[in-house]
Amino acid sequence: MPAPQQSATALFYRNFRWLRFVDRFGHKGQAVVEYVGGLTQLAGQTLVGAVSRPFYGAEALRQMDEIGVKSVSITGITALFTGMVLALQTAYSLAAFGGKQFVGRVVSLSLVRELGPVLTALMVGGRVGSGITAELGSMQVTEQVDALRAMAISPVRRLVVPRVLATLIMMPVLAALADVLGILGGLGIAIVELQMTTQDYLTSIWNQLQISDIMSGLAKTFFFGFEIALIGCWNGLRTEGGAAAVGIATTRTVVFASICVLISDFFLTKLFLSL
Amino acid sequence: MSTVASPTRERGAPRPRGETVVEFVDVWKRYGAREILAGVNLSVYRGEVLCILGPSGTGKSVALRHINGLTKPDAGDVRVFGESIVPLSEDQLSPVRRRLAMLFQGGALFDSMNVEQNIAFPLKEHTDKTSKEIAELVAEKLQMVGLPGTQKKMPSELSGGMKKRIALARSIALEPEIILYDEPTTGLDPLTSEKIAQMIVDINLRIRTTSVVVTHDIVAARTVADRLAFLHQGRFQFVGTFDEAARGAHPVLSEYFRSMGFPCGTGAFPAVEGRTVGQ
Repeated sequence: MPAPQQSATALFYRNFRWLRFVDRFGHKGQAVVEYVGGLTQLAGQTLVGAVSRPFYGAEALRQMDEIGVKSVSITGITALFTGMVLALQTAYSLAAFGGKQFVGRVVSLSLVRELGPVLTALMVGGRVGSGITAELGSMQVTEQVDALRAMAISPVRRLVVPRVLATLIMMPVLAALADVLGILGGLGIAIVELQMTTQDYLTSIWNQLQISDIMSGLAKTFFFGFEIALIGCWNGLRTEGGAAAVGIATTRTVVFASICVLISDFFLTKLFLSL
Repeated sequence: MSTVASPTRERGAPRPRGETVVEFVDVWKRYGAREILAGVNLSVYRGEVLCILGPSGTGKSVALRHINGLTKPDAGDVRVFGESIVPLSEDQLSPVRRRLAMLFQGGALFDSMNVEQNIAFPLKEHTDKTSKEIAELVAEKLQMVGLPGTQKKMPSELSGGMKKRIALARSIALEPEIILYDEPTTGLDPLTSEKIAQMIVDINLRIRTTSVVVTHDIVAARTVADRLAFLHQGRFQFVGTFDEAARGAHPVLSEYFRSMGFPCGTGAFPAVEGRTVGQ
């Protein structure tokens, strides 16, 4: 019995096995380019949708409650305990140099410039980003998004714009709350563990903290909010398949949003320091 | 069913052919290596109920989604109300889509809204009606689909058949010129399927709409269809009346009928002439 004839592609790969990585790299590269391209296109459509009719104000308010108000507890607890840990660690490190009085400065500066915005973004990215993806992903696989399109209603205007706007507006509010609670957590440790007075702690913060520190921290949260909401929406809207696909998309959102927050934080910090 | 007297019409009787409202011109569509539509040509006339029949996975739903631009062809043209919709963007499609409605296979009701909000949704989006007028219209549409008083129920509280009827009420809220039905009776018991099929006919007559129904349910097709279009191997192999199909006009279609338990051309197939629907 004659051996089955091999295809030209199979013969090619048999002789040039090492070239397979080019194929794999090409496929991965194409997927990355398509993902980033789609995300950029959605960002453009969202910006256009945000400044043109129809507006979905009520939906944006509902999302502000969902995204902002319901994230207060998770953000607050994270910030409070981060402030407490920061105060403990700072006091432990500075004790050898007799620098306990700088605890307030270090805690406030770290929180306001960096930890408050970033931790808030990571917590909100986990809670809100995944929630957005799960909701839109479920709508996509049950044809609700197609139903919107069939009714001549833009899914971007109806679903994406209100979520992005709500996240943009609520992120700075949550970050400001995180800053305050983190500093209060540090104050608690300063009083109970380090025997400092409230006045000493707050005076050291007052003398150190500049408006520019607060503003640079809060300004970052606009970018973080935009990234989180957009990634959440994009992963949700491109979900295909069933419940398993929704789960995969949700995980992807948490991973991508967290990575994007951390990478963009570096560049935003560089930018704000140079201003 | 509705308490309002249903309009009736004689099935099988030749109907005057209206203007063409939907036209497929040599439409091709491929997903990956699979050719779904391979040069499809079809015309849908105003006022008729056209059933697209065919085995599962032959591209019936894909063809249907081309009509309202949810899917774009790889090649060919789709004309709706005489206008080519293939080159139109989502925004440009809006005026066309407002004249169409679609009933999705699973109903596609919005989970976060109750029945009233679901039906009111297109009315709020596309009309300037007051809340009172909208509430009255919602009640009227619910009456039409035989589910009065269900306004406050959530989709999760509804059975499959009820979901489809609510989705049907939402589809007709704006009294569209064309309604697209994607497998309206799939997954339902025979009694509910028959009710839905009767509703399609009633609505077609009452709001004088054109209907395109994708189904593989021959019983439902027999109830609703003025014409059948049999999709097989990427093309419409047969387009004609149910009687022509039942007489065994096309070998592949006859085989399909036989596989569904409807022997063609043997005399065992019940005649449809003179059958009055909507009563």
